[in-house]
Amino acid sequence: MDSAPKRAKRLESAISFCLLAVLFLIAVGLFLKQSDSDMGRFGIYTAVPGLSSQKSEGNGPETTLGTLAPTGFEPLSEPQAYTEENLYEKINGKAPLYIESGFRKLFTQRFVSKDDQNLWMELFLFDMGTAKNAFSVYSVQRRPDAAPMSSVEDRKGGQTMQFAYKTTNALYFAIDKYYVELVGSAESQELLEAMLAIAGKIPAQLAAKDTEIAELRLFPQENIVPDSFKLHSAGVFGFEGLTDTFTARYTFDGSSLTAFLSRRQNAQDAQLVAESYYKFLINNGGVDKPLINKNIEAKVVEFYGTTEIVFTTGPFLAGIHEAQNQQTAEKLAEMLINKLKEVAN
Amino acid sequence: MDKQNNKKPVGRREFLRWAGKAGISIAAASTVSYLLYDATGPQPHRPADDLVTLPDFSVKQQPGRTMSIVKGSDRVKTVDKAIELLGGIERFVKPGETVAIKPNVAFASPPMLGATANPQLVAEVVRLCYGRARAKKVIVTDNPINDPASCFTLSGIGKAAEANGAKVILPKPHLFKHTTLKGGRLIKDWPVFYEPLAKADKLIGIAPVKDHHRSGASMSMKNWYGLLGGRRNIFHQDINTIIAELAMMVKPALVILDGTEVMITNGPTGGSASDLRRTNTLIASTDMVAADCCGCGLLNLRVSDLPYLAKAASAGAGTTDYESLKPKFATIS
Amino acid sequence: MKIVTARRISQIFFFLLFVWFCIASTVGGKIWQIRGWPVNWFLQLDPLVAIGTILTTHTLYAPLIWALVTVILTIIFGRFFCSWVCPFGSLHHFAGFLGNRSKPTPKKIQLNKYRKAQCIKYLVLIVFLTMAAFPSIGASLQTGLLDPISLISRSFNLLLLPVLDSSVNFVSATPRFYEGAWLIFAVFLSAVLLNLVIPRFYCRLICPLGALFGILGRFAVWRIGKNQSLCSDCKLCERNCEGGCEPAGNIKISECVLCFNCLDDCGDDVISYQTGPSLAGEITGPDISRRGFVLSLIGGIFAVPAVRLSGKLSRNWHHKVIRPPGALAEEEFLKRCIKCGQCMRICPTNVIQPAGFEAGLENLWTPVLNNRIGSSGCQLNCVACGQVCPTSAIRPITLDEKRGIGKFADAGPIKLGTAFIDRNRCLPWSFGLPCIVCEENCPVSPKAIYTREYFNTIRGGVMTVRKAQGKTVETVENTMEADKFATGDYYCVFAGEKPVKIAANSENSIEISENFAKKPAEGDKIAIQVRLQRPYIDIEKCIGCGICEHECPVSGRKAIRVSAEGETRSADRILLLKT
Repeated sequence: MDSAPKRAKRLESAISFCLLAVLFLIAVGLFLKQSDSDMGRFGIYTAVPGLSSQKSEGNGPETTLGTLAPTGFEPLSEPQAYTEENLYEKINGKAPLYIESGFRKLFTQRFVSKDDQNLWMELFLFDMGTAKNAFSVYSVQRRPDAAPMSSVEDRKGGQTMQFAYKTTNALYFAIDKYYVELVGSAESQELLEAMLAIAGKIPAQLAAKDTEIAELRLFPQENIVPDSFKLHSAGVFGFEGLTDTFTARYTFDGSSLTAFLSRRQNAQDAQLVAESYYKFLINNGGVDKPLINKNIEAKVVEFYGTTEIVFTTGPFLAGIHEAQNQQTAEKLAEMLINKLKEVAN
Repeated sequence: MDKQNNKKPVGRREFLRWAGKAGISIAAASTVSYLLYDATGPQPHRPADDLVTLPDFSVKQQPGRTMSIVKGSDRVKTVDKAIELLGGIERFVKPGETVAIKPNVAFASPPMLGATANPQLVAEVVRLCYGRARAKKVIVTDNPINDPASCFTLSGIGKAAEANGAKVILPKPHLFKHTTLKGGRLIKDWPVFYEPLAKADKLIGIAPVKDHHRSGASMSMKNWYGLLGGRRNIFHQDINTIIAELAMMVKPALVILDGTEVMITNGPTGGSASDLRRTNTLIASTDMVAADCCGCGLLNLRVSDLPYLAKAASAGAGTTDYESLKPKFATIS
Repeated sequence: MKIVTARRISQIFFFLLFVWFCIASTVGGKIWQIRGWPVNWFLQLDPLVAIGTILTTHTLYAPLIWALVTVILTIIFGRFFCSWVCPFGSLHHFAGFLGNRSKPTPKKIQLNKYRKAQCIKYLVLIVFLTMAAFPSIGASLQTGLLDPISLISRSFNLLLLPVLDSSVNFVSATPRFYEGAWLIFAVFLSAVLLNLVIPRFYCRLICPLGALFGILGRFAVWRIGKNQSLCSDCKLCERNCEGGCEPAGNIKISECVLCFNCLDDCGDDVISYQTGPSLAGEITGPDISRRGFVLSLIGGIFAVPAVRLSGKLSRNWHHKVIRPPGALAEEEFLKRCIKCGQCMRICPTNVIQPAGFEAGLENLWTPVLNNRIGSSGCQLNCVACGQVCPTSAIRPITLDEKRGIGKFADAGPIKLGTAFIDRNRCLPWSFGLPCIVCEENCPVSPKAIYTREYFNTIRGGVMTVRKAQGKTVETVENTMEADKFATGDYYCVFAGEKPVKIAANSENSIEISENFAKKPAEGDKIAIQVRLQRPYIDIEKCIGCGICEHECPVSGRKAIRVSAEGETRSADRILLLKT
């Protein structure tokens, strides 16, 4: 038995090394192959270089969203556009909210960090037709954990954004006729910075101007809960007749109440809607109450323990909703009436 | 590791032989791979060239000889007369041709219950084809609902056909081919009982007039349901459309609608002699829509009661106004 | 460097590569996830897969062209795959080495003798290839049962990996389950343990791939043999012979797996890898008797039709065989599935399971969905299984095709089956308990599950009024459980009016949220009703994804179950007339 290791002959050695070289080449080939893959075939998108200059279908500055990519980020997959017909494919059950509020088109674009595939965000650009509509969908969807923008962030954003708030992983704002959401895949400061950068570029890209919503100034400022304005397009408080109604919340002595107003076509129309709403309250169990405050003219209804007030001033229909006590409600109503009278004159 | 000095020279010849064999094997393997190479992989849909179309068996129209209605109690005599009125069997079957007869053999049911075509009627048509028409071959076939062999036996049609020289063809899987009806919504890539018809020159349908719970009535158009294969009962979900599409798909030379004893109730299987009523009418027609429109009257139905009649007419398979065809009448006492 | 060293390195390389592919088969973009890793490479290199599918489908699926490389190299060099590449072979090699290394040399030589039983693998191969080729009753691809790459792929992916990962949870965050893994375990363990009886038992006696290589290597240009007729006959060459090919005498070329151990062990340096025949004689072809050949041919010819008499491919089809999205119709599927388990491995929700015997012998280890296992039925936006199927038994569909959008909007979504509600077990249908978990989780839009409101008087719910004041109704009976009806699902009905929601209750009174139109008086009867939302399936929209079945709270035999009727892949199992 020869147990001593044999010396390999030269040819054997050479061939062995060649075979090992083949293995090495296989390893190299595998390594190259593993990074070259289209994860889209799994339904997961990967960055497609060169997409920044690509246009999606349609026309308008919304189609070059890829150019909004901030430094360190690049567009991820194709930009998409949705109309009323297929909106639900993208946002499912939320579609009716937008469609009822004048929705025209939705443009979406994803951006991904060049360094970290897991850090990505999606831009939702809703064309709502008018600034009011955009404000409406912006305001009614305000998240409970919304945080206001700090002034530093606002500056980074390029211009002070009137209607904007952020949450731990997203940025929401309304500008001109657009309602914009930037939703990130993670709670990350880097993502937020990138979102602010995009938000800064958008007004220029879309020729969007910060538009004033006139009705917001009609609400008395005293005791108002900041950023509590909402514009309900399709009815509020369970009554479909109260379309296009602004609401704002107030706190008086610890108790909260809501003021609402809606500009109608003319004084008659305002009266008609006011009467319908009053009747609606009575028919559903409300009890008419006499006014305590004799300075104002309004209908007061006690509705299951809360006070409702309805009145008209010129073309405005307005009132108070869900006040804890009648005095406070009437006080706020008076403030509101005075403000409206100023404008009506 | 490689060749040593004491290698015999024949090793080189061996080497070449092996190398040759190896080379041929490699070439063979590569060729096979190349020829069978499939870059796209299997697809979910059948390729179009696998589909067939049923042949058009219809004969030339002759005005005034589209439809005949004969009254009489003896089917053998009434069918002879009915065909004679349309120009005789020779108009439909030429000498040396192969004729496929498709009677209603749907159920393993005795002839007296009227759920299937009458065997004497089938026998007479077979005789006419061989006799006056001098056909070369007559086949009698159907794809029944119940077990095929039992249906042909218990209905008496098998024996009637064979006793007169016709061949019975029972359905077998390889006799079905897939078809898509042009302009059809339902018959898409669906198996039909193709082979027996593909080999025939003419097609004649023979159907009794029956009440039908789902479609209202089962007459000459519904008879072609027996050419469908697969899980065809799914078409009951849209019964009127499928009957109309059958009328579009099948173009027979002649249909014979037997209203001698109609199944007035409890169709399509019946089950009791009391389900039948004697109406002593036999209809022969080259327009099956018209035939059915005439036949429905025997069940006390109107054309408007059977939506498939209008559907088939609007698809161009015939006319619902059978009287406009000026049918020929006769009575055999 | 010795050639055996190169061989050992090669074995380790390919074995580790194989293990890496098993680990990396997770959906994701990280380097340890699938990315671009060609996890099917071993199966694509395997000529038994290629030849099997050529025989059943008469096509060579493009990615399997790698098999041509293996075939060409085998034709030139011999059965190199078995001892240089095959991970199962390396496993047996190592097990045999461990089990037999302490045995004395004469015993080892005796263990490595050629046995007639080594012809069994050729018969196995003939049976499989005949089953695949015989066309009239239908071809069936069963090579996956014993194909070593399929076998080790199943064993690692469905058995070893989940077991090893269950403690570290690296590959999968939640434990993975595979039904019938016990049988895979039994087969795997037997194969490995048999190496203690005869080294490389599986490779020598059973492996149909080895048999195929043995046949292909007949005309090998280079082969092992003696290059001198003078040899001291010490038989040391057979001490570590892996193939059992007897290089000392008439070497059986078709058994030689090119391990080169003989070359290394030979004390006299007479063994070489040469282009001429061995000077001690050689036998090139496999040693099968004519009887064996004919018997296996007949066995293969009859096996498929015999198995198919059960009717499982026609009317007797099993309703629980729900295949993954993109699977071909059953007969075509069975022509391509090699039971490798890749789809089961990659499925992110662990819903794809290896079938057992319940659906017929041909279905063993083919993929079927079991919606109770895993994290959620078949996810709406996932098409991973088709992307990894090496033979396209599950087609590599796009998300658009699965969802029925874009180009595929006319065809509609791919349906795996249809969900059916078992009303006898459903909480709102039979037990008066509110629940709409299935409807909530139905992922399609509009939903395929909808509900209809239904009010039902609860057991013992008819009460007599003692006094009604404001919104409080006191009852004579004292039987209610305090606040049981305060959940918002309970309503009170009086005098045929619309049910009024109950806000709160005590043992003998209820608080209603709105007043009745007519005020109840003492002695009047009221009824406590529960508001149920009873689910219904809209079978036009149901895609059979099974998420509802997975979520149904009746967790044993689910109250909503998917079965395969209505699956798009089978024209003869449709439920609805397509318009």
